[in-house]
Amino acid sequence: MLVLDDLTRRFGERAAVDRVSLNIKPGSFVGVIGRSGAGKSTLLRMINRLAEPSGGTIRWNDEDVTALRGRPLREWRARCAMIFQQFNLTGRLDVLTNVLAGRLSRVPAHRSLLKLWSVEERAVALAALERLDIANLAAQRADRLSGGQQQRVAIARALVQEPEIILADEPIASLDPRNTRLVMDALARINVDYGITILCNLHSLDVARHYCHRLVGLAAGRVVFDGRPEMLDEAAVRALYGLEAEAPAVPPEAMDAARNASMRTAAFQY
Amino acid sequence: MPHPAPPRQRLGAMALADLPGLTTRHPAQFRAMPPGRLAGLIATAAALGLLVFALWRLEFSPARLLGGIGALGRFLVLMLPPDPGSWTRAGLILHGLAETVAIAFLGTLMAAILALPLALLGARNTTVNRLVQFLARRFLDGVRGIDALIWALIWISVVGLGPFAGVLAIMTSDVGTFGKMFSEAIEATDRRAAEGITAAGGSRLQRIRFGVLPEVLPVLAGQALYLFESNTRSSTIIGIVGAGGIGLYLSEMIRTLEWQSVSFIILLILMTVALIDFLSSKLRAAIASGG
Repeated sequence: MLVLDDLTRRFGERAAVDRVSLNIKPGSFVGVIGRSGAGKSTLLRMINRLAEPSGGTIRWNDEDVTALRGRPLREWRARCAMIFQQFNLTGRLDVLTNVLAGRLSRVPAHRSLLKLWSVEERAVALAALERLDIANLAAQRADRLSGGQQQRVAIARALVQEPEIILADEPIASLDPRNTRLVMDALARINVDYGITILCNLHSLDVARHYCHRLVGLAAGRVVFDGRPEMLDEAAVRALYGLEAEAPAVPPEAMDAARNASMRTAAFQY
Repeated sequence: MPHPAPPRQRLGAMALADLPGLTTRHPAQFRAMPPGRLAGLIATAAALGLLVFALWRLEFSPARLLGGIGALGRFLVLMLPPDPGSWTRAGLILHGLAETVAIAFLGTLMAAILALPLALLGARNTTVNRLVQFLARRFLDGVRGIDALIWALIWISVVGLGPFAGVLAIMTSDVGTFGKMFSEAIEATDRRAAEGITAAGGSRLQRIRFGVLPEVLPVLAGQALYLFESNTRSSTIIGIVGAGGIGLYLSEMIRTLEWQSVSFIILLILMTVALIDFLSSKLRAAIASGG
């Protein structure tokens, strides 16, 4: 069980995530919805500890994630895989090596730095790629692939981590409708087959309603909705997307992030 | 219920159970030595071999180096404390230093101004046609192939001894360097801005003016500042052959074995370079954030 308690992240005066408290049950598929700059990304990045909380705690099965440092922190990150909007693969490395990166926390440094992967490690990576129907791309360079293929490589990397939870930060925001389905179906299958908890930021309400067991709505860093998808009625949507208009101005770094994201999206569509 | 039961399958265990199947389906991925890897190993071994051969061929001798370090120590003792000798000489040295900085500044500035049009012609996305691009590139390569010191000797025989030759020397050698750096920066700019201008009906020059230059000028300014720093060092050297600046005094003092003056000059140069380095990194940071 993932327990967030009063989790807060401030950028200067403004709180990007404002005293969020949530319990995420193991094996659930939870969608986090809300407008750009509502704090969805910051929330997920804090759970993986890519962003440091300004206050509050993150607990996983009675383990205090917020207090982890060094080796235990890296081990936590291996158990809590992250999937990004822009895939975050190493473009000049081949697909298999990108996927094997998900195994790095278990491989001793001397062997990984020389890329001396064992037969077992390669087998796990290829099994993950087969799972996502892209084992035939194993030898290709990652930057040669389409966006949808790259995101599936990123999911394979998450999978070989054999994580307990997967954090997906807008995994489909850069993808076309067909790839959106492929990627979301893959996440749903992973959730069912392996029982991995999934916490997924989503822009699209339709996608969120279709795939998630539970939706958490963020506006201006606060939880304004928490319930089953069918509970998300007209009024709830208005609260979710209307609140922000009255909320304090979006900070410049959030604007920049949003702008960069949309520019990259545009680049991808060419 | 929306929440499925705890883990049913484990990827690792399943992969190991299916190991024979995976190895037969993807034999290439299990090869111990992929072809690319072997080529990399051979290249590394060849580079190491070349290094060893070069050290042997050029008579690299640790014994001679160790013996020489003693002499270096003696010079160091003779250099202390740094002392220009007299106030008049201190004045001359400071004047030379100012001249050196001025040579570097003027040379860099003129080189940057001359290099910009050449760089635009040499960049794939702003050039007129492939022939012009090719010629511009080769011209810049040619100029860059000759070091500032050689340019100084050439310009001294054209315009005579003094700082003017120094400015020309820095300028010519830097036109080549700037041209290359600038055109690469121009080629690395975001295509979308220029595409937007083209789509709005802009001409080639308008595309450069509104779609390329605004994006790339801060980068170019940063590069010019960086080269100004490094030119302050090079213009010390070209003074030695008579192209103006502090280098002349430095070589004179070394020739007449006035080691305390030598260390005084070196100290001044170090301080000047450090100051310029500091100022230019501040400026570059300001440009990068403001631009």
